Amino acid sequence: MKKILTAVLTLAMLAGAAGLATAQAKKVTVWCWDPNFNGYSMKQAAEVYNKAHPEVTIEIVDIPQQIESKIEAGLQAGGAGLPDIALFQDFQIERFIANYPGIFADLKAAGVDYSQFAAYKVGIMSEKGKVYGIPFDTGSTGLYLRSDYLKQAGVNPDNYLKELTWKDILALGKTVKAKINKSLIAYDSTDYQFLRMIVQSTGGQFFDAAGKLNLNTPAVKAGLQVLKDLNDAGVLYQTEGWNNWVSAFNNGDAAGMVSAVWLIGTLKSQPANAGKWMVAPTPRLEGVAGAQNASNWGGSSWYVFDKAKNKAAAIDFLKSVWASKDPASLGFYNTILKGAGAMGTYLPSRTGATYTASDEFFYKNQKVYADFAKWMEKVPAVRYTANFNAMGTALTASISKYLKGDLKTPDAVVADATTAYNQQVQ
Amino acid sequence: MNQKGAFAKYLNRMGWLFVTPALVLFSVFLLYPIVSSLYLVTRKWKGLTDSFIGMGNFVRMANDSLFWHSLGTNFFLMAIQIPIMVILALVLAVVLNQGIRRFRGFFRLMFFLPAVTSLVAYSILFRILLQTNGMANNLLMGMGVLTEPIAWLNDPFWANMTIIVALTWRWTGYNMIFFLVGLQNIDNEIYEAAEMDGANKVYQFFRITLPLLVPVILFSAVTSTSGMLQLFDEPNILTNQGGPANATMTAALYIYRQAFVLNSDFGYATALSYMIVILAGFFAWAQIRILGGSKK
Repeated sequence: MKKILTAVLTLAMLAGAAGLATAQAKKVTVWCWDPNFNGYSMKQAAEVYNKAHPEVTIEIVDIPQQIESKIEAGLQAGGAGLPDIALFQDFQIERFIANYPGIFADLKAAGVDYSQFAAYKVGIMSEKGKVYGIPFDTGSTGLYLRSDYLKQAGVNPDNYLKELTWKDILALGKTVKAKINKSLIAYDSTDYQFLRMIVQSTGGQFFDAAGKLNLNTPAVKAGLQVLKDLNDAGVLYQTEGWNNWVSAFNNGDAAGMVSAVWLIGTLKSQPANAGKWMVAPTPRLEGVAGAQNASNWGGSSWYVFDKAKNKAAAIDFLKSVWASKDPASLGFYNTILKGAGAMGTYLPSRTGATYTASDEFFYKNQKVYADFAKWMEKVPAVRYTANFNAMGTALTASISKYLKGDLKTPDAVVADATTAYNQQVQ
Repeated sequence: MNQKGAFAKYLNRMGWLFVTPALVLFSVFLLYPIVSSLYLVTRKWKGLTDSFIGMGNFVRMANDSLFWHSLGTNFFLMAIQIPIMVILALVLAVVLNQGIRRFRGFFRLMFFLPAVTSLVAYSILFRILLQTNGMANNLLMGMGVLTEPIAWLNDPFWANMTIIVALTWRWTGYNMIFFLVGLQNIDNEIYEAAEMDGANKVYQFFRITLPLLVPVILFSAVTSTSGMLQLFDEPNILTNQGGPANATMTAALYIYRQAFVLNSDFGYATALSYMIVILAGFFAWAQIRILGGSKK
């Protein structure tokens, strides 16, 4: 027995010593989920940082599926197995800030100047004078269209490179459907983002000031009507899930879609489509006050865990690369835009050459990045709250019933989604 | 005497030593979660904040129509899929046991292979095959079976059929192996005797094979039922988180979403999982009563 006990104790001590040794080597671990996008960007940032700080190793771990669940499991286990830095989608973060108080390091106290970041990104990560994250990318949206399909349908693409309304797009969709039998817009039926983008473009909200769900607004109801009209006219190309949606427009089954600036990398993965794509401003929702030709989809930000082993090194890394006017940092923001289509929200970085360059992948060498950056300034802010996931789940189900005809009016959709939400969130 | 007592003591000590690892693992992974769930279930648990609400989680459960809907999905899938699978597995086992002589090992392997593929991998594959512009629709339309593509994943009825097909594909071979073992345990002399008495093959099957296989059928039905009550991966991946419009939402998936996606509400999720445990226990008891009764 004694021997066994001794052996076990020795092993435990060895393991402890090993733990100590890795801590001294200063390794900052980062979790993100797309090696071609945010993982690529972090890798570029690490290279910039390592020039001045070769002693710090930055390890980037790709978590392709359900990163939030994994982090949540780690938090329940008192922080076991968590990295130093993690990337969170903007619409997920308020749930963590509300339900897990004190888990993130306050970066404002660490000296980050937040006036230099896009305001709509900073708002959601702030709480009682503290600011927790480093804003990463914008999800400024536009209407992507295949100019060659428009031409085949007898439409001049140039007439659509300006600010239009959903009524114009519905008419265009009907023309394209009638002439060449293609649906204009690829639509993911497992998601509610399409409606969310329409609502956000008007400055419309899903929650009231007290954080209570309120779907009974002109923006939500008018948006639902647009969705239904597009669907019934055959303008939506129905797909199930992300991969199916991507293949629909990359293979040319659909003539376009509404999406964000970060999709450009995905489009370019299909070089055969060079010169065909064009991006119009996000269509405006007619008849709703405050409607803009701009909206946002997605975008995420970096957060440091307060209990992280290498918290100081992690904060120093984020601060000196992601929030600095140093020429190397500004060059870095240009690199990730060029290499991955990742458009940062650090305002001083927007003067770089990549932002103003014309892009030959697009129809008539459109200066897409300049356009998206211009639209970004007009994006109205949306409140996410801790219950945005539950709202989205309820809305996705109700929209699906609406498009199938089981729910008849926008009012019925609002009532159905509200009931489902209230049962799931208490 | 003394010597013998010391040896017994030694044996006793060794005995405890051998069961210690099992006891430790049992306490850490079973006893502790069960005991702590008794505490968890009485609390409103949001992430790291929690407060006592007594039976509040159960009151909430009673009023949660989506939870009852998702339990209904479990029962619907169970009622259709398990009989299909058990009958299919039985037929395959009999054919492989008596019908086919050549390549028997090969066929056994092919039917069993789906059971060892990764749940995630096969769900994703089925997903790609069954999307509206996927291979299944293209093939059926090319052969002229369909004129319009079927929305396998996007229509409430077809999404449930998709799950049934996928589950049957994956688990039939697994159950078939149990039936094969059961068949091989039936003494050939019984069949010979029956033949002497003039019983034909069909009569033999229903009067000899089936009754003697009852314990195996029981085992297969009980494990499949408790598996169905915990159904998670297929609706999560294949039909995209219980879609369309919660048509394939199962209880286990709903519990996961309450804890890890929607609410961080681990107290409520625990209360919901109590319901599953009670139901699984009840079904196991009922099946043993019904099928086991014939053995007496």
